[in-house]
Amino acid sequence: MTKRTTLPGDLRCAVTLGIDFDGPSHEVGRGIAPLGVNSWGRYSARRGIPRHMEMLTRQGVPCTFFVPGYDAECHPDLVREIDRAGFEVAAHGYLHEAWDLGKEEETPLLLKTDAILRQLLGKPIQGWRSPSGRKTSNTMHVLKSMGYRYDSSDKDYDLPYRLRFGAGKDDWIVELPNNTFSLDDFPFYKFSHTPPSEVLAQWKSEFDAIYASDRFMVLTVHPRSGWGSGTPARTRVFEEMIGYMKGHAGVRFFSSGQFASWCLEHLDNLEELTLP
Amino acid sequence: MKSFSWPEGIRCPVFLSLNFDAEVHDLRHTTEDRLFGRFSYGRYGIRAGLPRLLEMYARRGIAVTVFVTASDAIRHPDSVRALRDAGHEIASRGADLTPLPTLGESERGVLEQARDALARITGEAPKGFRAAGNELGPHTLRLLAELGYLYDSSFQDHDHPYVFAPTASTKIAEIPTVHTLDDSLHYSGRHTHARVMKVWGEEFEGLYQEGCLAPLTMHLRGDLGSTRAARVVAMEKLLSDIGARPGVRFLTGAQLAAIALACGGAPEGDPFAPHEPTLKVTPYRGDLALKPG
Repeated sequence: MTKRTTLPGDLRCAVTLGIDFDGPSHEVGRGIAPLGVNSWGRYSARRGIPRHMEMLTRQGVPCTFFVPGYDAECHPDLVREIDRAGFEVAAHGYLHEAWDLGKEEETPLLLKTDAILRQLLGKPIQGWRSPSGRKTSNTMHVLKSMGYRYDSSDKDYDLPYRLRFGAGKDDWIVELPNNTFSLDDFPFYKFSHTPPSEVLAQWKSEFDAIYASDRFMVLTVHPRSGWGSGTPARTRVFEEMIGYMKGHAGVRFFSSGQFASWCLEHLDNLEELTLP
Repeated sequence: MKSFSWPEGIRCPVFLSLNFDAEVHDLRHTTEDRLFGRFSYGRYGIRAGLPRLLEMYARRGIAVTVFVTASDAIRHPDSVRALRDAGHEIASRGADLTPLPTLGESERGVLEQARDALARITGEAPKGFRAAGNELGPHTLRLLAELGYLYDSSFQDHDHPYVFAPTASTKIAEIPTVHTLDDSLHYSGRHTHARVMKVWGEEFEGLYQEGCLAPLTMHLRGDLGSTRAARVVAMEKLLSDIGARPGVRFLTGAQLAAIALACGGAPEGDPFAPHEPTLKVTPYRGDLALKPG
């Protein structure tokens, strides 16, 4: 049996916060004009992202913004501002492709978004999160070839691990698994229409259990209106959740990139999983 | 976060609107001769809902904005006039509930006829518009501006009203709403009114704290609307609670449009144009939006 990932005792609990930008790319990628009822992605750049940045700065915690390439093309100044404010910008598809892509289609899209973000920020991009959670071993090969240090898309574990996707010496990447059924805002705001206070209670209960067991929390929100956390009441829930986690002894917040670095410095602590 | 410089004395304007959507909604699913049984929730709105709402709005002293299709208005001209006579604003929701993006070349004529049909009933051309399903076509904003509309209220992309300039010579205000504050979203999911009020109360608190527009959207129907006795009681309690907060003011669409148009800021360009080249080469995958991602 492979060694399980172990977090050292001095890292009582690691938290990474992610904000999936999800602007108009979400609709345009599906062939829908971002007008009327379908305009909620426009809320991200206008209100949700600035509101979230203001809140995160107030709380003094790092965060990773996963940005589709198309949204970065639509809002270059805002993406630069995210970076200037000290937050990490990572890749999140080009048109938020929420469907299976063939290799011929996928590779150029990964390269395209990487080029857009890298050019905007003048520095390398460290990580990727799949829009909708679809990926293949080709995805991993391309990410690694672009110098990415982590992926944060798999749902198969509660701890970071080394994901090996090939036989070559460097055919592995740090995987920071997430969960879009509970450690995310959209299942509640899009499907169950849960009151914000109940979402907060749910996340607190998730955190309590994680704090007592695996000690690794990946929380994701969206800055949209409608099914995201961009609006004031929901941003407040996000903020209260951050405050709740900060109130626990030994909790350390990392951007996904920072935590990937931690993983790379503690490779012996990480379980390795080989996938075909 | 700073929202908007509202006129003196207003901290949080509430835009209470009523989507009329009576039989026109049922007619999306059946024919005129079958408006019975499960297809009579629209008629409930007219027979049971409207008198109840008129009384409740009067008790609370609130003028609402009613978005009504020409189809329903022609079927119920007296109801529309009763709303008008009670001081509510009558605005257009188009001809019927056919999605505007499917109309193609006929869109202008359809919108024009819908406007005129409403004007014949109320004696005044409507100033405001909300699309069926809040779905707009690429040209809708321009057409509305050309047809003399002051505002549209179909987007959900901002915390306050703003202004579009679909062309260099046209302007139209936008009064954005949000799905979460639309009763039909919750009632179509069969949620309880207690739950809806919990969501709305919490969302309102956030909007109030930051001085945002609070757009509350009701429907007249007996199924996914807010006209059953218990739902009206729940709504009245919420409206009474939020109406008691300092700086809350109930404003109609025309009043909010006037505020946005008087701001003098640079209007937004056509919201479709920047995405047109990509949309042209992107296949429709809209059905994906219905499934969990």
